[in-house]
Amino acid sequence: MSRWQRRRRHALMGLGLLAGGLALGLGGCLGEMPVPMAGLDRQLEQAGNSQAPALSQDWLALIGGRGGRDQVLLIDLRSRLPVPLPGLNRTDAQPLSVAVDGSGERLALVRQLEGRTELVLYRRALMSVEPIAMQPAGVPRRVSLRADGRELAVEVSRGGLWQVDLIQLP
Amino acid sequence: MLLLGLICSGCGSGSWGRRSASPIGLGSSNRQDPSLSGNGRLLASVVERGGRDTVVLQEQPSGRLVPMRHLQRHQPHRSPSLSWNGRYLAVLVQQGSRRLAVIEDRATGALQRLPLPGDMEPERLSLSPDGRQLAIEVLRGGRSRVQLFDLSGRLEPDLPAGLAARGGGVPESPP
Repeated sequence: MSRWQRRRRHALMGLGLLAGGLALGLGGCLGEMPVPMAGLDRQLEQAGNSQAPALSQDWLALIGGRGGRDQVLLIDLRSRLPVPLPGLNRTDAQPLSVAVDGSGERLALVRQLEGRTELVLYRRALMSVEPIAMQPAGVPRRVSLRADGRELAVEVSRGGLWQVDLIQLP
Repeated sequence: MLLLGLICSGCGSGSWGRRSASPIGLGSSNRQDPSLSGNGRLLASVVERGGRDTVVLQEQPSGRLVPMRHLQRHQPHRSPSLSWNGRYLAVLVQQGSRRLAVIEDRATGALQRLPLPGDMEPERLSLSPDGRQLAIEVLRGGRSRVQLFDLSGRLEPDLPAGLAARGGGVPESPP
């Protein structure tokens, strides 16, 4: 191998190393895009506008809506299908935030109804909606539920301050 | 069963155990965006620190602050979400002009960045308790929609039977 060939080879190797280093550096800075779950995305597309997702084990709760009417949806991630929530969605209510427990049995929901904002606990097996009063009085906004559904954390506005309440559930 | 549900719906909720999240010190009056870990032992929330919305992590019920390695910058933070044992904390951060979803692995100290296509602006997120999936509400073309992402190739599962993750460094005490 001539001197010129060796120099050319070394230059190419240097360029290769530089390009590799740049790629690794950029990858480290920007990160890789996450992989979308295509089947579920199609299901969600059909729900129209969707927001406020809450994942728990095999369940995805969210607020979806078409034609200006929002409602709570609960999707079983195993079947990729929504399950019925009888008694929860009302035409005169605007859901704001939702959370679901790991079994898909309990949902905590903040909604506006009849001019006020309320936090409710929905039990799917019982089809029951139980209001949870804010004490001291306050306006709830975002809610999070422990995986066993026995405790929730809720953001509450009181006297111009945002606070977080933790509430044990029976 | 329906009757039982109706009876329960009439019960008051005043006797349920309640408490406010433990304070984290002066200068942090507003607290928003609560997220409980799957096992309920950790609470993430967003508080104002030095005028910037910053995610904090606290043990429950003691309120002891748990340090995080990467989430001291890139405010405002919003929409934190914890895995089962709190090993993973997903949150939206600000990086330059873009909002970016990141996940801090408290067991290894690693930070995963999850950039989205340029026309998608993340608004809210939720991490599945096992850390295998991430749901992100994105704004695209003026429309909000939830997209699901598979993280099973990037994160080890954080399962209920697993040992609770330990944070790096010495835990901070509330002042």
